[in-house]
Amino acid sequence: MSEALAASTTRTAPARLGRVLWAALLLAFLAYLPFVLSHRAAFGFRLSNVQLLNLGLSQIDLMLIAMLGALSLNFLTGCAGLISIGHAAFYATGAMTAAITGTLWGWPFPLVLLAAALSGAVTGVLAGLPSLRVRGLYFVLSTLAVHHVVIYVFLQCQLHYFDVSGVPYETAKLGAFALDTPIRWYFFLLAAVALVYWGLGNALRTREGRSMRAMRDHEMAARAAGVDVRVLRLKAFALSSAIASTAGALQAYFMTNISSEAFGLDFAIQFIAMIIIGGLGSLRGSLFGAAIWLLLPSIISGLAPQGGGAMATLVAEHKPQLVQLIFGLMVIGLLIFAPGGMAGLGRSLRVLLFPGARR
Amino acid sequence: MLAQVLFSGVALGSIYGLVALGFAVVFKATDVFNFAQGMLAVCGAYFAATALSVFHLPFAASVLIMALASSALGVLIYVALIQPLSGRSMLAVIMVTIALSIVLRSLIEIIYGPQGRTLVTPLPTGVFTWGTLRISQLHLTAAVVSWICMGLFAAFFRFTSVGLLMRATADGHEAALVSGVNVNLMNRLAWAIGSLLAAVGGLFLGQLQIVSTDLESIGLLALPAVVIGGLQSIPGAVIGGVLVGVIEQLSASYIAPESSDIVIYALLLLILLVRPWGLFGERELGRV
Amino acid sequence: MTPLLSIESLSVSYGRNSVALDAISLAVPSGGVVALLGANGAGKTTLIRAATGLLDFHGGAVAAGAVRFEGRPIHRMPPHARVRMGMAQVPEGRLVFKKLSVLDNLMVGASVLPAAKRADSLASIYALFPRLQERSGQAAGWLSGGEQQMLALGRALIGQPRLLLVDELSLGLAPLIVRAIYQQLRSAAERLGTAILVVEQNARLALEFASYAYVLDRGRVALSGPASEVADSKEMRDSYLGVDS
Repeated sequence: MSEALAASTTRTAPARLGRVLWAALLLAFLAYLPFVLSHRAAFGFRLSNVQLLNLGLSQIDLMLIAMLGALSLNFLTGCAGLISIGHAAFYATGAMTAAITGTLWGWPFPLVLLAAALSGAVTGVLAGLPSLRVRGLYFVLSTLAVHHVVIYVFLQCQLHYFDVSGVPYETAKLGAFALDTPIRWYFFLLAAVALVYWGLGNALRTREGRSMRAMRDHEMAARAAGVDVRVLRLKAFALSSAIASTAGALQAYFMTNISSEAFGLDFAIQFIAMIIIGGLGSLRGSLFGAAIWLLLPSIISGLAPQGGGAMATLVAEHKPQLVQLIFGLMVIGLLIFAPGGMAGLGRSLRVLLFPGARR
Repeated sequence: MLAQVLFSGVALGSIYGLVALGFAVVFKATDVFNFAQGMLAVCGAYFAATALSVFHLPFAASVLIMALASSALGVLIYVALIQPLSGRSMLAVIMVTIALSIVLRSLIEIIYGPQGRTLVTPLPTGVFTWGTLRISQLHLTAAVVSWICMGLFAAFFRFTSVGLLMRATADGHEAALVSGVNVNLMNRLAWAIGSLLAAVGGLFLGQLQIVSTDLESIGLLALPAVVIGGLQSIPGAVIGGVLVGVIEQLSASYIAPESSDIVIYALLLLILLVRPWGLFGERELGRV
Repeated sequence: MTPLLSIESLSVSYGRNSVALDAISLAVPSGGVVALLGANGAGKTTLIRAATGLLDFHGGAVAAGAVRFEGRPIHRMPPHARVRMGMAQVPEGRLVFKKLSVLDNLMVGASVLPAAKRADSLASIYALFPRLQERSGQAAGWLSGGEQQMLALGRALIGQPRLLLVDELSLGLAPLIVRAIYQQLRSAAERLGTAILVVEQNARLALEFASYAYVLDRGRVALSGPASEVADSKEMRDSYLGVDS
């Protein structure tokens, strides 16, 4: 079900050309974007804050990290059908591993990331173990419990080894190349997101990936067809948590200081909201969901002056709540009226505008 | 000292039991695990605070308004959010209640501001001393009122004909439809009751602490309470609530103040792994 | 005289492509006993659902035609309103309230009556089915199949309905018990003046019980007429009546 950038062999030549042009355009845009945001100008023209949607490169970087979380959660929930509200716990696992291996033991950055991925995988398998015992609602509750347990461990680790205000992290370094500016982070994270997106898309196309989706849709039929659902579930958890854990480590290094409050239940819920808005089961949708999560606060700030004095004060005083409110209403609205999320809407729109086009 | 801790535990646990009861009623009737139950308790506290502090109404009138407003809110939630999603996946329903709690929380913070308010009520705030025990009158009142509410509900459920129809609906939707029960009405009633019970709990929690959206995390303790007691069992929910209250106070006093959350959730995990249907539930759950 | 229940050119489908009933017409006169026969999947239960309002619950929808009760169209009425109007049902599979006691089960059925009349009605149901009185405090889930069937019947009859729809009474029950229940049903119906529409796979039993019969085949009425004629018809004898007990 991956709508990755792969071209279909049934396409005609002009359609193929169109695809390639779009891809080139997208790449060019992505390459130029960080410079536009850093210099606040494009092609020599100064751009105002409003035109840039009040965005800074750091926010884009955070969005990229969030995309990793959304992709991994969508893989777990949308594709493998495992509902988890404990996703923040894996971020915390990564941050904690990074704290220990990076800050305490001084390991080089690439090794820290590897350690984070491994510890994430292990934690994921542990978190997935209850699924062998209970299913459905009870399993969801077990993910809630796991979340609390992991966050508590992180907090204890933070208090014992570091500081009550947060865990510090060194600058990330890839060999001699230091990730110390938003632009450098941007290209690194962009590569990471592309890698994960492509990797997960591929994983979904393998036999195991298809078995996973069969398991999501109709577990008994999958089992009858010989699919070992128990192992498959744990594998899904391992992969998803490894990615989330790595994202957690990246976030820790990016922010250079993280405290356990950052990984509360709200954080996990943001990701669920992202994948619902984006569309369950659609990797492309996850990217949209994360992008909307990033853009929403900026759009609100941008629109505020338009609404006049009352609106502006409302926004100024209660911006975070307003963002949450709109986010929550979006999720509710989409759940009731457009269950496929943005991806579903996009598909419908495409069918509407280009009847006969490939879905 | 132990007796003191146990007393607070049972008193608080009675409030949790009340909120958990509301939760269980909704779950038994409409099969919805309402993650917004904690927020509904908060809403109750705010309804009361508004009536008391903003409109300066007498206490009895404020409580009445709070009861009416929260019941109406419960029905509204059912009609607007839950009914349209009937037949949809569990993730959709869970997410809609989570999104609802987000929406309620942000609305409250926008309207009232994120700081807390104090509830000024004529509820007694003094302290009895009984031997070495210092009994907070407020705790005692909260416990007594909670048990009275739960008792009233139990009587309603067991002995009235509407209660019978609700029990029938919880037993089987199709059977109830076939027998002429207005299932839609029963569902709305369940949500009104669930919300009302949460609101009463919220009122006391707001008085014991301070009325703010942070109360939500306390109200959320109803979730593990219901699971520990048994998701399908109404008395189980109440007992689960009391247990959670006692465990919370015990771990806060004897282990560490912030340990109570983790102890409860670790216990939740243990129960889910060992005895998922809870202490008092029946063994009908989803297997592997 | 207007029939009590009248189904007029009713077409029903589940989802977009599966037509379950195709322009069916059927009538149940006041106080009459009508049998609805047909093989599995012929559409009998669908017809009952269309009459009682439970189509929606099972994912079906009326595509065309009308359902009338005493001449009034009822296809917009919700199920509980139809019961209050006097149309009770004994569904396939009984659907008793398993965790409620026998008494509670019956009282749910009695809730359509004004409170003053309930005790009397309960007494008459107990007179009809003394077994139920013996077991009045027991949870319905513990009753035997035959007892549950009696309970389901009692729950439907206690509301003193004008029309009773019985779906697959005999399923899973021993023939002797089924016969006994049918006899009790007949006497109760005569006393109350209740019309009955009985859906049965056991065609012989149904045709002995009813005065008029319809035979459904793949969503259409294949045969209809007085019960004796239908019983003697060539189609019946050829198809499945022959293999019956």
